[in-house]
Amino acid sequence: MKKIIEVEHLTKTYRQKRAVDDLSFQVYEGEILGLLGPNGSGKSTTINCILSLLSFEHGSIKIFGEKMHPNNYAVKRNIGVVFQDVALFDELTVYDNIDYFCGLYIKDKTMRKEYILDALKLVGLEEFVKFYPKQLSGGLLRRLNIACGIAHKPKIIFLDEPTVAVDPQSRNNILSGIEHLRKNGATIIYTTHYMEEVEILCDRIIILDKGKIIASGTSDNLKSLANIEEKITVEDVDMSDKKLEKIKDLKNVENVLYCNNTLVITYKKGKNNLPTFIDFLKSEKINYQKIFSERPTLNDVFLELTGKELRD
Amino acid sequence: MIVFKTVLKILNRCKMPIFIYTIFLVFFGGFNMKTQDDALGFNASKPDVFIVNEDIDKGITKDFILYMNEVSHIVSLKKEEVDDALFYRDVNYVIYIPKDFGKDFMLGKNPQLLVKSTGDYQASLASMQVEKYMRLANLYLDINKNEDALLALVHENLEQQADIVLATTLDTSSLDKATFYYNFTNYCILAGCIYVICLVLSSFRKDVILKRTSVSGMNIKKHSWYLMISNSVFSLFLWFIYVLLSFLLIGKAMFSFHGLIYILNSLLFTFCALSIAFFISSLVRNKEAVNGIVNVIALGSSFLCGAFVPAEFLPKFVINIAHILPSYWFIQTNEIVKSLEVINFSTLKPILINSLVLFLFSLLFIGLSLKKNRRV
Repeated sequence: MKKIIEVEHLTKTYRQKRAVDDLSFQVYEGEILGLLGPNGSGKSTTINCILSLLSFEHGSIKIFGEKMHPNNYAVKRNIGVVFQDVALFDELTVYDNIDYFCGLYIKDKTMRKEYILDALKLVGLEEFVKFYPKQLSGGLLRRLNIACGIAHKPKIIFLDEPTVAVDPQSRNNILSGIEHLRKNGATIIYTTHYMEEVEILCDRIIILDKGKIIASGTSDNLKSLANIEEKITVEDVDMSDKKLEKIKDLKNVENVLYCNNTLVITYKKGKNNLPTFIDFLKSEKINYQKIFSERPTLNDVFLELTGKELRD
Repeated sequence: MIVFKTVLKILNRCKMPIFIYTIFLVFFGGFNMKTQDDALGFNASKPDVFIVNEDIDKGITKDFILYMNEVSHIVSLKKEEVDDALFYRDVNYVIYIPKDFGKDFMLGKNPQLLVKSTGDYQASLASMQVEKYMRLANLYLDINKNEDALLALVHENLEQQADIVLATTLDTSSLDKATFYYNFTNYCILAGCIYVICLVLSSFRKDVILKRTSVSGMNIKKHSWYLMISNSVFSLFLWFIYVLLSFLLIGKAMFSFHGLIYILNSLLFTFCALSIAFFISSLVRNKEAVNGIVNVIALGSSFLCGAFVPAEFLPKFVINIAHILPSYWFIQTNEIVKSLEVINFSTLKPILINSLVLFLFSLLFIGLSLKKNRRV
């Protein structure tokens, strides 16, 4: 596959603190790369360095094989960015906002009109063309923010937490829009806190912490890094210390956590431990309201690798 | 083109204050011109005088009453209404001629007239008229004791009048109007430029918008240049509208050399206002603060520099402070143009100096805003 973005040994220091530490990775044509990490992990700094919004001490960044710098407008013309903060003109209508940002890339008026209509359709804002941003809800504003970033049909799209504080309907709309962009051949770099979005959308995931890559690969690759295979949760259950000790002695049990009448058991091996555990609960005459089994999530991977949760 | 188009769209959303400034200009400009028409009419003014004559109506007493009838407007009243009439300004001056006034005067006893007055300038005029007559009569009494001969001499003297010829060829009335109008444009141009440019630039310079523009395919220097051109075009348009209005409101005086200086001076001031607006916009990013800043800067400097109240009425320390404001130099030039009779290098020199100061102010503000933007 063709390399679209090549980041080599990128190092950026903010006030004597390493925000990005010797980071190297590649983004391939047509893929969606997820950048996952808690606040301050270096996701946004990495993106800002790639976009030449920030300078850096060491390393190199190449886009389409060309060295990226602030005046490389030929490369910039093929990039679309959707920042986390909504970047819109309050004085312009939905249509005019998209027109302005698209106009920074495309001069031809007829072509621009066509592109704007496509963008409006993609984010589902066709009915709101004459609305001003202040008349839109938070979710619609986010959709407009995306439309402004991608209307010029760029080859590379940076999406920096586009679904933060968005209602479920808008979120679904945004995610299906991103899928549509990928189908049209765009390469997407997607940063988010939401693991489920990454799992649904991304072909590859890079997990960052303290400016370093701590793991990368596909969702399944990463999950295999976690030292657990199954997690069983029992809700509204009364447990004595003696019974907890008995559970710890069960086969393949890695860890037992009991808190607020909720019991969480993690298993090292085996994917079908639930029937055995239900039998155990019956035999011990333990009553409960709800029981369910889960496969390990990326959050578990992150917890395993860093000792903290993704949203910390 | 997209930048220019977007600036126009944003301007369209904040056009209302510009209309209001223009309405102020037309309203106050028009109102002032009307009051100046009244003030510069040179209508002959006659005070309202009431005479209570207790003497015999003959000789010098009769002659004095006839003279007062000529130079003032004699009011008929009842004696008991005098105080009310004075209070309500129905009469400005009341003269009481005592009994045997004429007889005592001719005998050289120097009898006194009793008077009551409102104390205003009409009453002063009446007092001057009375004094003039009595002084002449007393003067001729020393050389001529014959009453008829004395009155003849007094009349001969009173009829002598000086011919006044206005040497100036200036249409002072129109130039006064033009000066007031252009002094007022100080406020409109300054407020208009600061308000609009700050609003437009604060929209474009919002951090997130700036970030998005920086990563776009448009050269950021070109983008800034387009923004500057767009704002300059707006300022020139605003200036053009105000110049056009001056032709409509003032008329033919604007087609003279004086009119040309007013126009060029206002163009230079527009350039200076533009530079001030750029500087302020580099400091202020908050749209809500713009209205307050417009009031402080435009209204403040207009008051301090004599745009609304003539500088002669302002305290000296205020005038001294005003020297550090560009508006002062703009208004000073307008004031000079008003009384500019001969046009040559020496008469135009103060105007050129004022213009140079305005130009230097513009350069200073451009320099400061460039420095500030570079830091940002």
